[in-house]
Amino acid sequence: MYALISIASGVASGLIGFYVGVGLTALVRVAFGHSPWDAQISITVGYIFGLVGWLMGIGMWGAWGREWFGLPTYARKAPGWQRYFVFNSDHKVIGIQYLVTFVVVFLLAGLLAMVMRAELAQAGNQFLSNDQYNAVMGLHGILMIAVAVAAVIGGIGNYAVPLMIGAQDMAFPRLNALTYWLNPPVALLLLLTPALGGLETGWTAYPPLSVLTENAQLLFNLAIITFGLTSILGGLNFIATIIFLRAPGMTWGRLPIFVWSMFVASWLALLFTQGFAAALLMVLLDRAFGMSFFNAEAGGDPLLYQHVFWFYSHPAVYIMVVPGFGLALELITHFSRKPLFAYKYAVGGLLGILGLSGLVWAHHMFTSGMPNYLHGPFLALTEAISIPTGLIFLSALGTLFMGRLWLKTPMLFAMAVIFNFALGGVTGIFLADVPTDIHLHDTYFVVAHFHYTIVGGEIFALFGAIYYYFPKMTGRMYNETLGKLHFWWMFLGFNVTFFLMHWPGILGMNRRIADYPSSLEGVNLIISIAAFALGASFLVFVYNMVVSWVRGPVAEANPWRARTLEWQTSSPPPIENFPAPPVVRGHPYEYGVPGAVHAIVPTPMPGGAPAGGAK
Amino acid sequence: MARHIVNIVVIWVVLTVLGALVLTLDYLPVIGAEYSEEFDGIFRLLAFMGLPVLTFVFAWVGYSFFAFRQRTGESEGPAWWGRNWVPIAWLAVTASLAITVMIYPGLTGLAKLQADPRGYGWGETGADLVVKVTGFRWSWAFEYPEQGITVNAVQGRELVLPVDATVRFEVNSTDVVHSFWIPAFRMKIDAIPGRTTYMVVKPVATGSYAEDQAFRAQCAELCGLDHSKMVLPVRVVEREEFEAWVQQMKAQ
Repeated sequence: MYALISIASGVASGLIGFYVGVGLTALVRVAFGHSPWDAQISITVGYIFGLVGWLMGIGMWGAWGREWFGLPTYARKAPGWQRYFVFNSDHKVIGIQYLVTFVVVFLLAGLLAMVMRAELAQAGNQFLSNDQYNAVMGLHGILMIAVAVAAVIGGIGNYAVPLMIGAQDMAFPRLNALTYWLNPPVALLLLLTPALGGLETGWTAYPPLSVLTENAQLLFNLAIITFGLTSILGGLNFIATIIFLRAPGMTWGRLPIFVWSMFVASWLALLFTQGFAAALLMVLLDRAFGMSFFNAEAGGDPLLYQHVFWFYSHPAVYIMVVPGFGLALELITHFSRKPLFAYKYAVGGLLGILGLSGLVWAHHMFTSGMPNYLHGPFLALTEAISIPTGLIFLSALGTLFMGRLWLKTPMLFAMAVIFNFALGGVTGIFLADVPTDIHLHDTYFVVAHFHYTIVGGEIFALFGAIYYYFPKMTGRMYNETLGKLHFWWMFLGFNVTFFLMHWPGILGMNRRIADYPSSLEGVNLIISIAAFALGASFLVFVYNMVVSWVRGPVAEANPWRARTLEWQTSSPPPIENFPAPPVVRGHPYEYGVPGAVHAIVPTPMPGGAPAGGAK
Repeated sequence: MARHIVNIVVIWVVLTVLGALVLTLDYLPVIGAEYSEEFDGIFRLLAFMGLPVLTFVFAWVGYSFFAFRQRTGESEGPAWWGRNWVPIAWLAVTASLAITVMIYPGLTGLAKLQADPRGYGWGETGADLVVKVTGFRWSWAFEYPEQGITVNAVQGRELVLPVDATVRFEVNSTDVVHSFWIPAFRMKIDAIPGRTTYMVVKPVATGSYAEDQAFRAQCAELCGLDHSKMVLPVRVVEREEFEAWVQQMKAQ
């Protein structure tokens, strides 16, 4: 009931806001002698009003907005599962909201990939027309980009970071709730794109095409500008949290490596996301007002977009994969029962990636017709980024060696990250190298490469982390046998699909196509079959998660014997995380050190906190 | 510990040899132009340089999986922190590898590709034959200004080039961004409105789309509805045959 009221009032005030915006636009337009409706302008203004209406209706008005007018605030109280459907500022609730939302989006976008592979199993158009294929491909791309940006940071990051540093919540809890509730309109807009002609430009939205194309593009632009806002606000929140809310004694040198990786990814999100938003805002202005940023005949330049766009979108791959590295190292050290090898070098590697990632964007543009003298510097800087990335491998391999590997499902996923990313990294050299990139650019070699880095690197880490935190989040244990089955099934399916995919790329199969030369048929059929197997592996995952969440065995507080703080409180943790702030005494990874103590965590007194307790 | 290192090295060597055998297979498309040989050489070199890096990680992770496992999670490993020479040596080795690849074949290969540092394209500045390429949604037009002929999807229906002649493609677009790519030549350059890009190729073997589909002018930058169909066949012929074709096109 509470959940229903919350969502219904959000939707209702969102719709009211939309129509108010459209109406105001019509009034202004009519007053100046234009027709009342212009798709670009009316939808944009309607969306802005609708977005504010949605946020206020979902609970921001009560929890936050009333304060601006000197009124007392209130929060909707919702028991049990219903708390996930209200404007809730608890970071643990928000983390699970993010995780469930984006796992659903991941499965949906995965289904779209299945449709694409069915079409590509043979040359020629089987059951999709060219524009249907483009719509499916563009939607798969942007939904997966959203998953890659938000699932680990918004889901695992929100849930784990405050716990790992011994904080009660994020630095700005209401901002955190706002960040999450900005996401449903994004999803709605993107899912509506097929109704308005479908995305024609892929997720990269290069103009002039994106200026000339159907109104689906408008929804895309509004969605991504909103999504960029969530990324920036989230980044800001994590940076403030990690700087100011660490428990006493949690020095920078004792920070768990996942928290470090979140710190780096948050800086990247804060610094670079505006590039994507700015690029799409310019496309929107070109569409709505004919500003001609990208219209060569009117003095604009299509290449301007590509620079601004990739200025975000290359760092974005590090926003995706750096937390994946952090999670992989975190899991590898806990399940190897050994200190994280060369911790300071691993942190240095993450910071090195932060420093270099903003200087490599034009390697996406080697064939774009940018001036020749730009190629050399971007080639060199791109290949230099393999040096800090190598330090992540040093740390992982050093930790594994002579460890006591406890091969639970999360550990299998973490080891797969290192395995997969090795291949993704090596193929990256071919694309960073201009002489090879001018053939391989925009082929299936690139598709294989970025799926190895983002899926192989980040999404494997995400699934490892989902299994790892499942007992903490739900208080129940997942089924280990099914977890391992999911891992091996997904690992094999993934590697067959994407390893083979390099080959048609080399032979001359370009990406983003509904049809391809008939000589490439055989290998594409095998890729499609492997892709269906990969897709089917998630049925095991979904079954395991749903059944275990409902009636899995009750989990202990610390089933993994991990030393970091999130495992020193109950599963699931109380609303304030720890009965009293923990005091950190040592490094989080002192496995194999007799008598080592990471932190002193006050245990809750039976029958409530002691009088005048530490809080 | 020394025993484990030896085992990993043995597995590493075995995997590398197996991988090298795979890499000697013929997995590259047909050689159509001078640059194709250059590309294939660099591709194979990078593959052989990347292989030991890859097999090192595979051997290490794979060996650890089998050799260092425990069942219960009760025992703990040695408390090694890596505060010794190992990370420094690692950094030295990886940095030298990265810098090597950066210089050769990276920057040296690039220097061969770009004769004009202020230009927008690949290859030498001079050429025996100029072809003006125009991309539009969703096909190509090829104008031979010296020969006074134009071919497109209706007229001629293929791009014909003489073998062993240097051809300069001057590439433009009338609407959106396209990319002019001939897989047999291993080279592509974007067609953008408002700027002329170029690529210079020298076909070294005769061939045609009918024999090998790598001989095709393919759009490689998503350009909307019929992007996947934006293809015209390419045919590389002997000089005399080319002249005859030009006359035939003029006659039409």
